[in-house]
Amino acid sequence: MNELWLKARLYYEIFGQSDLLSEYQQAYLSVINKPITSAPLMAIDLEMTGLDPQQDQIISIGIVPIEPSLMPLSIPLAKAQQIMINIDGSVGQSAAVHGIVDHHLSSALTLSQAMEWFVEKTKGHILVAHHAPMDIGFLQSHLYKTNGRAIKLPFIDTLALEKQRLLRQHDVLKEGSLRLDACRQRYGLPTYSGHDALTDALACAELFVAQVNSIGDINTLSAAEFISI
Amino acid sequence: MKDDSELQPIQQFISALVPFDSLSDSSLVRCCQQLTIGYYSKTSKVVPLDESHPQLYIVRSGAFEVRDEQGELLDRLGEGDYFGFPSLLSGEKVSNQVQILEDSLVYHLDPDTFNYLRNESRVFDRFFNRAFAKRMRHQARFKAKDLTTTNRVNSLMSVDPLTIDCHASVSDAAKKMRLARVSSVLVIDNHKLIGILTDRDLRNRVLAEGFDGNLAVHQAMTTNPKRLSANALVFEAMLLMSEHGIHHLPIMAETPIDDNTEAPAVGMLTSTDILRGQSSQPLLLIGEIERQQDIDSLINVSKQIPVLLQNLISADARAEEVGRVLTSVTDALTRRLIILNQQILGAAPMAFCWLAFGSQGRQDQAACSDQDNGLLLAHEPDEHAKGYFNALSHAVCEGLDKCGYIYCPGDIMAQNPKWRLSLDKWQRHFESWLNAPEPKALMHASIFFDMRAVYGPQNLFEQLQNHVLERTKDNDIFLAGMAGNSLVESPPLGFFRKFVLERDGSEVKGMDLKHKGVALINDIARVYALSAGITEVNTPKRIRALMDANIINRKDALNLADAHEFIAHMRLANQGEQYTSQQDVTNYLKPQQMSSLIRHQLRDAFKVVHDAQSGLRMKFMRSY
Amino acid sequence: MDVQTLTYLIVGVTFALYIGIAIWSRAGSTKEFYVAGGGVPPVMNGMATAADWMSAASFISLAGIVSFTGYDGSVYLMGWTGGYVLLALCMAPYLRKFGKFTVPDFIGDRYYSQAARTVAVMCAIFICFTYIAGQMRGVGVVFSRFLEVDVETGVYIGMAVVFFYAVLGGMKGITYTQVAQYCVLIFAFMVPAIFISVMMTGHILPQIGFGAEMVDAAGNGTGVYLLDKLDGLSAELGFAQYTEGSKSMIDVFFITGALMFGTAGLPHVIVRFFTVPRVKDARVSAGWALVFIAIMYTTVPALAAFSRVNMIETINGPDSTGVSYKAAPEWIKNWEKTGLITWDDKNGDGNIYYTNGDANEMKIDRDIMVLATPEIASLPAWVIALVAAGGLAAALSTSAGLLLVISTSVSHDLLKKNLMPDISDKEELKYARIAAGLGVVMAGYFGINPPGFVAAVVAIAFGLAASSLFPAIIMGIFSKTVNKEGAIAGMLSGLFCTAAYIVYFKFVNPSANVSDNWFLGISPEGFGLVGMFINFGVAFAVTKVTKKIPDDVVAMVESIRFPKGSGEAQDH
Repeated sequence: MNELWLKARLYYEIFGQSDLLSEYQQAYLSVINKPITSAPLMAIDLEMTGLDPQQDQIISIGIVPIEPSLMPLSIPLAKAQQIMINIDGSVGQSAAVHGIVDHHLSSALTLSQAMEWFVEKTKGHILVAHHAPMDIGFLQSHLYKTNGRAIKLPFIDTLALEKQRLLRQHDVLKEGSLRLDACRQRYGLPTYSGHDALTDALACAELFVAQVNSIGDINTLSAAEFISI
Repeated sequence: MKDDSELQPIQQFISALVPFDSLSDSSLVRCCQQLTIGYYSKTSKVVPLDESHPQLYIVRSGAFEVRDEQGELLDRLGEGDYFGFPSLLSGEKVSNQVQILEDSLVYHLDPDTFNYLRNESRVFDRFFNRAFAKRMRHQARFKAKDLTTTNRVNSLMSVDPLTIDCHASVSDAAKKMRLARVSSVLVIDNHKLIGILTDRDLRNRVLAEGFDGNLAVHQAMTTNPKRLSANALVFEAMLLMSEHGIHHLPIMAETPIDDNTEAPAVGMLTSTDILRGQSSQPLLLIGEIERQQDIDSLINVSKQIPVLLQNLISADARAEEVGRVLTSVTDALTRRLIILNQQILGAAPMAFCWLAFGSQGRQDQAACSDQDNGLLLAHEPDEHAKGYFNALSHAVCEGLDKCGYIYCPGDIMAQNPKWRLSLDKWQRHFESWLNAPEPKALMHASIFFDMRAVYGPQNLFEQLQNHVLERTKDNDIFLAGMAGNSLVESPPLGFFRKFVLERDGSEVKGMDLKHKGVALINDIARVYALSAGITEVNTPKRIRALMDANIINRKDALNLADAHEFIAHMRLANQGEQYTSQQDVTNYLKPQQMSSLIRHQLRDAFKVVHDAQSGLRMKFMRSY
Repeated sequence: MDVQTLTYLIVGVTFALYIGIAIWSRAGSTKEFYVAGGGVPPVMNGMATAADWMSAASFISLAGIVSFTGYDGSVYLMGWTGGYVLLALCMAPYLRKFGKFTVPDFIGDRYYSQAARTVAVMCAIFICFTYIAGQMRGVGVVFSRFLEVDVETGVYIGMAVVFFYAVLGGMKGITYTQVAQYCVLIFAFMVPAIFISVMMTGHILPQIGFGAEMVDAAGNGTGVYLLDKLDGLSAELGFAQYTEGSKSMIDVFFITGALMFGTAGLPHVIVRFFTVPRVKDARVSAGWALVFIAIMYTTVPALAAFSRVNMIETINGPDSTGVSYKAAPEWIKNWEKTGLITWDDKNGDGNIYYTNGDANEMKIDRDIMVLATPEIASLPAWVIALVAAGGLAAALSTSAGLLLVISTSVSHDLLKKNLMPDISDKEELKYARIAAGLGVVMAGYFGINPPGFVAAVVAIAFGLAASSLFPAIIMGIFSKTVNKEGAIAGMLSGLFCTAAYIVYFKFVNPSANVSDNWFLGISPEGFGLVGMFINFGVAFAVTKVTKKIPDDVVAMVESIRFPKGSGEAQDH
């Protein structure tokens, strides 16, 4: 059901369009009905100057692919990447959080370069993020800025998955129990000290692999069943 | 365009690991970029290993257990440990199972990067080689393999092949062949092998053509014969022979002496050699033994036993299995001798058991074993019965002697009336050793307590064994005596773990792998087994039983069993080498013959024996 | 050469000897040699047993205590000798037949209970600690004198030496090392005794000199018998008559009993009887051991008397009024450095004076008597050095044996069998070494803060053994009814009562430690026998009201007592 609805939405958006973004969405369509264990996935994480997609800007993007393997998923670090984006004005207060200082950004890409890079790298991959709506919101708004068109980006949210799982087990969620580190701990994953986009994307990728592993009969599930719209 | 900002948490973790800490920064970065990450959930129980893609597994978090095919625990792994390296290093198929104890995050390193790092850093390379060696000792490494497919040519060939100069006459060649009782001779010109002259050549090219004996050898020989190197497989030799319809293959040394000359011929392999090699497979041999109808032909069959041993050794069989195979042949031979002699002497006047002691009892016979046996009679024999068993035991012992099992120098044989006793007398004998553990009694005990009935009703034997074990169990004073006796010798390790070599005058004899190695472990296992009333007599089985009964700590038991196998295997391999190079077969190993890896492992094994001896002294003698 | 250099030399030589023998016996004995040699001959084993047996207490303190208390001191001689005979002849053969190497193992099996074993292990450990404490004090005295340090430092040095010897050395428990130690210690004990005997009475054998007339410097008989002289001196100075004693009959009886039965319960000596393969040989070597022990024990009273006379005469001078401190003999000044002799010039006359009562100006520790005797008698320096080596030999052989018992009991019986069944051999060994180390440290502590002199500390150990282990062993062998509940209750109550009595009088309220306050006039040293009776009583009482002993155990007890075949081998 979910799958049909998703496909319908995407077809609707692509209809009549023939630009970079619709190719992107076309590629998306071809993977969402694959089993989750063989669908190309890409964990992402963004660092932003603030929390408002309309006002604040993306500073850096980390991407970490997740590939099918025997386990049944694995993460090749060779393809893990991170870019910095040149922003208008200064990083501001959030610099303290992610340790990115202005001069780091001097060698960075412009926003349109960055979006081009993002589209190219993640094309044909289903996006995975922790607390994904936020990151996706930023991406959509930035894509709008560069391409002048709003598009739908289907994604998998590890936070939502974890929430469902926990709710199935307990009825009450403790505060903070859905934070990335807290989720990771439940799967016996180590705590990472760094908090740049790349490390967080990796942390999210590992969490997702662990989540998939903890589900029985994974091979029968298609990617679409994980996707929130 | 792309920012290569490293994955800090991963690099931090990897760079702190031995041996990755020895890598240069650039190698480390390269290594980290090549990793893939996998997650193993406890619910999937076993790590799926892709045989076509060996890789190094680095445990980031969680816990695993490595087990061999039989389910024996080899290793337990946690954060910062590795697995998968044995197949990476050896290229062999994965045979171990890795079980997932906890949800685990694992980094995978591909073979290319792994090999690159091995080339980069000696420390890195050495670390994994050592770990591999250690794992090898920990696992059933020396699998008995199918003999024809893994056997090497040099185990079957006759060494020092007959040669003749190409200008000699064929009659000289024929005389030489007659003298050496062989069917072929290698033809040499200026130290180079140029041909082969066989019986068939003499027939077809000399006699049938009407030449006389003065014909030069090079005119009659088969030129440029097919040849093989000494480490070729027997299988290849068979293939070559059937392909070309030949029966003789000159065997060349593996490497030439220098670049300009070709490797010299070191042996000759005939199709008869191959046949002989195959028939010495244990089951065939035992079957053959059981078919023989008279003692002489039995003795004849027994000539294959040394060949069987050589085959097993060159097939790299586990020492434990070699011992069992050889012993089962000895058992079969003994039984056949008893049956054949009973056909001559008539049925026995009472039930009896033929007892095997010592190495035959323990099922760890090796080259040139002597006999240790006795007779257990159901009750006290009268004069007639005495006469009967006297005749029977003499005939069997003599038969065994002729089959290559020399008479026991200590006269522990059934033909000695002292060891031909009724159940009651045997029991009293054992009791006397138990009650007065003097050195001589203990020496006897160490032979007699490893007993097994080769022939006769099992329940008669069990009556004796149970009686004895009931009395050894918890008899601390006797066990202290046994322990003391087994501590008289110690492994040949001196200060700073240097090997201690035995000398005979100025000549270095080497290390006695039997008396200062295997025998010590046999002794240790015996003391524990007697203390616990365990009926097994085979040392590895004893150790396993003791481990299962939680009498020896699991780790200690595994170490001890490994050390036993390793030292016994070294001893066999050494004897195999001595045999093929036509030296006297001894228990002495010279350390310079070993690679540094083997030295290291042997030292480890001796250290295990040393520690086990300390444990024995502590537990049974209350001393240290 | 001065005494100190000689002491270093002789102690060094004896240590080199022990180590040499240890190395020789390890390296030189291949299996063939061992089997051909047929084990250790009984005479040698007897000597080794004697070395195990004769501790620093026997060597250093026994003569001292006899010397100071005269007849009273003889309870130690009687008790220990009697105990040895009891052990060798009445108990060892039965235990051997049972096939148990250690007393706790016997008790554990006989009373079919891990709890009984554990209680026995605890008792054994407790007793051994007390015993080692006595040894440490003795070693401390030796070192303090010869290194001219105070006794506390002496104990520290002794601790280091014993630790090295017992935990790291790997030369303990080797029969021939112990034979050498016996030779050293008996030689060191006899040489000064013979010298003095010849000097004072003209007899070579001290045992004869003890009952003989004294001679003057020229060797002419004086017509005065040694013991008469001593009685006279004692009376003159207000001490009890040397040959009479001051203890009550009942106290003497109980102390002797406690020592005797305690001996039989001591764990480390029994083991020696089991290392001999044949029962007959074990008996013969026990006999030899008795002879070797007797050589020393019969010399003790003589040496004690000689040194007493010598001591009083050198301190008080020929006219029995004391000599000037400045002219005091060298040995007094030497021993003052150790703090074991103190002079308090009460009347201010500058003279030293020794007597019973308030006028006494000398405080002399009894433990120095044997060590000081050669000096008092002005014997050559090498004799003095020899005595030091002998004292050390006595302390080392005994404490090494005891430390082995304690440490293996802790690691094997307590940890491996009870608390950590999964530990590896290596860990077990490690814990044993740690236990031995702790044993040395605790013993050192009690060696510095002794509740009494060496022999008395040791006497307490015997008292504890008599009240706990001995009854359990005896009932184990000779009773078919006593069950595990009885045995455990008996051991605990015996040990507890005795320990409480001793702790009260020795530690809690030492000032009350006089015969008027004692239970039936029995001193803490003798209370072990009372504890033994309590143990017996409680055991039988508890047995009556608890479950009957299982049949197989009854059969087992019967088979132990079955006299034939207590292990006699038939020869073949």
